[in-house]
Amino acid sequence: MTDWSDDDVLMAALAKAVAEGDTVSNRRREAARAAFSWRSVDAELMELLHDSALEAGAAVRGAADPGRLLAFGRGQVSVEIEVGAGAVSGQVLPAQDATVTLQGSGVEDRTVAPDGAGFFRIEEVGSGPVRFVVTTSEHTLATAWVTL
Amino acid sequence: MDTSYPLHALVASAREGDQDAWNAIVERFLPLVCALVRRHRLSETDGDDVCQTVWLRLVEHLDALREPDALPGWISTTTRNECLRLLAARKRMTPVDPMDSSALGGVTEDVSGKDLVAIEERHALREALAELPAGRRELLVMLLTDPPIPYAEISERLGIPVGSIGPTRARALEQLRNTRALSAAIAAELETGGERR
Repeated sequence: MTDWSDDDVLMAALAKAVAEGDTVSNRRREAARAAFSWRSVDAELMELLHDSALEAGAAVRGAADPGRLLAFGRGQVSVEIEVGAGAVSGQVLPAQDATVTLQGSGVEDRTVAPDGAGFFRIEEVGSGPVRFVVTTSEHTLATAWVTL
Repeated sequence: MDTSYPLHALVASAREGDQDAWNAIVERFLPLVCALVRRHRLSETDGDDVCQTVWLRLVEHLDALREPDALPGWISTTTRNECLRLLAARKRMTPVDPMDSSALGGVTEDVSGKDLVAIEERHALREALAELPAGRRELLVMLLTDPPIPYAEISERLGIPVGSIGPTRARALEQLRNTRALSAAIAAELETGGERR
């Protein structure tokens, strides 16, 4: 335990804390500041309900590994995403007249229209933070951000 | 608005769309996020991505954050979860040797409790420093500078006699212990420290 009552101990701890604060890269600082421009008050948030990356035993699946599966939902609407190599496919449930837009910082929005069963596929998806925005005639639902 | 404003004021203004308030929140918590990311040994690029995801999540979480005092805990938990997710996702993309039992876990280990306490302690110390009046904060920061700044120069820069630097340092440290941030950290440590014995 740290003896906080000792001035020299406190100064040493303070030195470490301040030094750690100084190591933050400007790149991360700028990116963190820029995150604020993604604030959208009108979109409703779809929470991340499931991420297969956190399942025990995820690493030992064989060649039939379906890739990382993510599920988001809000109310009656859900979006299931399968992350493959360089592409994502997914399904909006219940199937409805909607568009799905993939958003990420520093990349252009990519919008697709799911088919009659709600399935969609987006090619050439890189790594980094993304979210999916489902737009129907009634509402706009944005998934929580995830790192691919 | 800058980092010296109370957290609840910064959160309230950020909710109203104030970029300066947001920048101040970033300034105060980014070192904590980076320290946690570093502990999880992600690649530099993945570290950048996790870091960015945490801030994007906070942007969408701002309105739901009822109690700004819960922010440090929220940021810490979110960062650790995002690190674990990405570590696990990267792991499943690489071929696994079935003979290597260390790969069978799936879910990757989190930072140890001791590391986490140290990381959160350093965050509390930076927060405590931010709570001090500017003059005392500057004095402490000058005294911490490596290589050391001669007392004569500190005296000149801050306009205080050399002889009062020592006593002022003692008073500043006493004030630091009594800040909201540090007194809370000390109390929390006494509690868990007592349990460990």
